[in-house]
Amino acid sequence: MARKMLNDGELSQPNQEEQTHFDFDLFVIGAGSGGVRAARFSANFGAKVGICELPFHPISSEVIGGVGGTCVIRGCVPKKILVYGASFGGELEDARSYGWEVHEKIDFDWKKLLQKKTDEILRLNGIYKRLLSNAGVKLYEGEGKIVGPNEVEVTQLDGTKLSYSAKHILIATGSRAQRAPIPGQELAITSDEALSLEELPKRAVVLGGGYIAVEFASIWRGMGSTVDLLFRKELPLRGFDDEMRAVVARNLEGRGINLHPRTTIKELIKSEEGVKVITDHGEEIVADVVLFATGRAPNTKRLNLKAVGVEVDQTGAVKVDENSRTNVPSIWAVGDVTNRMNLTPVALMEGMCFAKTVFGGQPCKPDYRDVPCAVFCIPPLSVVGLSEEQAIEQGKGDILVFTSSFNPMRNTISGRQEKTVMKLVVDAETEKVLGASMCGPEAPEIMQGIAVALKCGATKAQFDSTVGIHPSSAEEFVTMRSVTRRVAAASSNPKTNL
Amino acid sequence: MATSVTTPKLTTTFYKRLPITVPLSSHFLSLQNTLTPFSHNCCSLLYFQCQRRHVAARAKSDNGAELPSHYDFDLFTVGAGSGGVRASRFAANFGASVAICELPFSTISSETTGGVGGTCVLRGCVPKKLLVYASKFSHEFDESNGFGWKYGTEPQHDWSTLIANKNAELQRLTGIYKNILINAGITLIEGRGKIVDPHTVDVDGKLYSARHILISVGGRPFIPDIPGSEYAIDSDAALDLPSKPEKIAIVGGGYIALEFAGIFSGLTSEVHVFIRQKKVLRGFDEDIRDFVAERMSLRGIEFHTEESPQAILKSTDGSLSVKTNKGTVDGFSHVMFATGRRPNTKNLGLEKVGVKMTKNGAIEVDEYSGTAVPSIWAVGDVTDRINLTPVALMEGGALAKTLFQAEPTKPDYRLFPLPFLLENSAVPSAVFSQPPIGQVGLSEEQAIQEYGDIDVFTANFRPLKATLSGLPDRIFMKLVLCAKTNKVLGLHMCGEDAPEIVQGFAVAVKAGLTKADFDATVGVHPTAAEEFVTLRTPTRKIRKSPPSEGMTGPEVKAAAGV
Repeated sequence: MARKMLNDGELSQPNQEEQTHFDFDLFVIGAGSGGVRAARFSANFGAKVGICELPFHPISSEVIGGVGGTCVIRGCVPKKILVYGASFGGELEDARSYGWEVHEKIDFDWKKLLQKKTDEILRLNGIYKRLLSNAGVKLYEGEGKIVGPNEVEVTQLDGTKLSYSAKHILIATGSRAQRAPIPGQELAITSDEALSLEELPKRAVVLGGGYIAVEFASIWRGMGSTVDLLFRKELPLRGFDDEMRAVVARNLEGRGINLHPRTTIKELIKSEEGVKVITDHGEEIVADVVLFATGRAPNTKRLNLKAVGVEVDQTGAVKVDENSRTNVPSIWAVGDVTNRMNLTPVALMEGMCFAKTVFGGQPCKPDYRDVPCAVFCIPPLSVVGLSEEQAIEQGKGDILVFTSSFNPMRNTISGRQEKTVMKLVVDAETEKVLGASMCGPEAPEIMQGIAVALKCGATKAQFDSTVGIHPSSAEEFVTMRSVTRRVAAASSNPKTNL
Repeated sequence: MATSVTTPKLTTTFYKRLPITVPLSSHFLSLQNTLTPFSHNCCSLLYFQCQRRHVAARAKSDNGAELPSHYDFDLFTVGAGSGGVRASRFAANFGASVAICELPFSTISSETTGGVGGTCVLRGCVPKKLLVYASKFSHEFDESNGFGWKYGTEPQHDWSTLIANKNAELQRLTGIYKNILINAGITLIEGRGKIVDPHTVDVDGKLYSARHILISVGGRPFIPDIPGSEYAIDSDAALDLPSKPEKIAIVGGGYIALEFAGIFSGLTSEVHVFIRQKKVLRGFDEDIRDFVAERMSLRGIEFHTEESPQAILKSTDGSLSVKTNKGTVDGFSHVMFATGRRPNTKNLGLEKVGVKMTKNGAIEVDEYSGTAVPSIWAVGDVTDRINLTPVALMEGGALAKTLFQAEPTKPDYRLFPLPFLLENSAVPSAVFSQPPIGQVGLSEEQAIQEYGDIDVFTANFRPLKATLSGLPDRIFMKLVLCAKTNKVLGLHMCGEDAPEIVQGFAVAVKAGLTKADFDATVGVHPTAAEEFVTLRTPTRKIRKSPPSEGMTGPEVKAAAGV
């Protein structure tokens, strides 16, 4: 079996001695999205697979993790659960105009939601374990370390060490939230803790302008907290389409979040009333909770990579080629630990491509074009393809921008002042749709189908020839008739620094 | 109600083309999402060369500039609904002098009441969707309990607040429509129009002459004549009831019946649906038909299948009983019929001037919307062609071109077929039942008939929200593929947000994409929609020959999609 695998896997080490016996064909370190996907599919292709993961806990550390990884335990899933919970706050307001008499006294039981969230995560953790065992993957609980190009050491809970040889080693240890190096930083929390707080904070300060920052700001605000969001740039969500960033900022403000652009934290001081936040503008905000959503770092410190010669970049991310292979031919890496595009479905794609390439006899590379993504602020933002700025920067020719900004029909009665905004960026010459964005209710759900169309190079004409589903918000994507603006290719456009 | 598949919607394009001089109020701007998306279609139609001589002749004389007009108007439109407003507005934009008459505003239509905006805005899609929104909250309250929200007392629904707010919105919309007409320079006359002769319309005793007359008076719900039918209400009345129906019988199994069943059930009425067939939604995919009925039953709606009302009886306590071929169901406060519509052609004077009608009362028209009388035309539901707002808009726009731009233009119905009207097309559609349905392309049954060998992928799962809320909600998704080419022939979904989700996929299906293209697309995580790009194992493969090979292997589906 092992020999056959070797022949199939085109990219397998050509110089390897065929007679070498390994405990496993593949040993995976880290059972998150990418690791589990790679392990399962490799096993399905006939490989003998082992995987190790740290013990379960909602808050991760060097020695704590859990099968399922960030997405399931400390990321997408618990976050989405809290976003659902928080969204009801706005719903209740809207319901009144529709004739619903909601009692003045509304309680939100944070503890109950937290308990149910934990239950759900434990359930998923169990499902993941089952997925692995059903696929015949051997799971070890403990901390994995690479001790040689084909040698992994697992330190178990009781301190005993197991050592296994493997033809291939896959690093899929993910990443962890980082704190900003600010005096008093120990008073702040990261997203891990934010998903498991004992009490709902009445006053929250969020530092950061990325998607995690705006999501938590929305969650707490939706549950009734006072929220201050501090970020360095003029607008949150750097890297997204500028126009959409402005829409998100407006919506966050409209929902009652206090925005502090061009602001960072100078110091955190413990005080009687709570944590005192001193900004670089000299402002003081007192909060029950200060969340640092200031970035994540790859989990590579304790893997012993240096000793075996696996190269990492200055952020600590494992360097890989387009097949997810490191500079050591028998060692591979997928997911956030490689810091390519840090999204669950991308880690899944990388894990799948790894399995196909190494054990499936179908060499393939992950394709990072037109990967859709979503920011679950309230209301959410979702995008696929290029932003207007990226399209201009690529400078392949003039682009056409189509936008639609409208008040959803539901708001006509609820009186909510919140526009849904949609945008298509189109190549003027080829008519190809280069990018689509939407900020408004159900944006992530709507964007998935649009992503299929974009991925396959759909033209504006193909969008136009699709009949709308009426009455929906999504139909705006196929009924944008008139060009909002035409933008000349590249060169002269000054770069903004929003 | 058939018209209500489409709400009129004011797009940016729409009012950009208008010579509007009044400032656009925020009210006006906020309407953007409620006026038709199809405004473009009549502009993007191919211009048909006139092939039929009599039409050509008509069109030519219509545009002959030699004769100075001795008419009051170039065009007089009877009925200011979707089709009439569109035709009048375009005609005015082309330089014609136009008048339009419409009955006074009322939420319930009759021989003497109507309102600018027509069925779609006042008694169709708009009010229906607003009531759907209102009714969905009860389910959201149930969900929110699972997410930690608690209410001092259970939220109660106040019917009159809803109806008052809904009617205020309709008033606002009808006002906007009036402004659109006035701003286009059209003379708006309130009253009942009657055709006196081929060039004269009588509005409440005052006579107006016109070179062309357009009849766009629409249709009205139809209640079959059974004993006690006078106790029944139609969809007009159902959208404007003075108080909540405690227990309502809805007769019909089409999308209107299901939408109303969801509305009343959500607003806490007891709902019974009587359908003639074995299943709801004839013409839809069989799996979807089963799934939606099952889901609606779980939310407390009782379906009486193969059961047709034969009489409605009123008992001494005022409650209504429905007598069917199977027995009698008692205790209804309301009985609603969702059993079709009829054209509004009575008492219009049509017979007298020689306009021909079908036995249903629909005006017979040629492909240019011309009636048997050369100066009289008709568009929209009154012609009973395809009774949808976007179709009426297209017909109206095409007619304006034919009459006032010397471009004889036929409406292109290929743009608008619904799956159950024209089978092989990638036209998406939605049913706003609860849970709602979105679909595009062929049903499994249609695909088998047309392609023989097909592969079917399905997913039936509990969404993340339901695992927390504890409610028994599920989502069903289905892809129907051509076995030979791997092309996606049909895509169906029933569950939360289905209409929104399906729109983007409709672009992909319309573009002829394959399953491989779906598989190559990265998911948006975590969403329900991502399931459509992560379906991996066929549920069944159907082969004409050799006999079909069964295949079932629903994978354990982790919510996170590994």
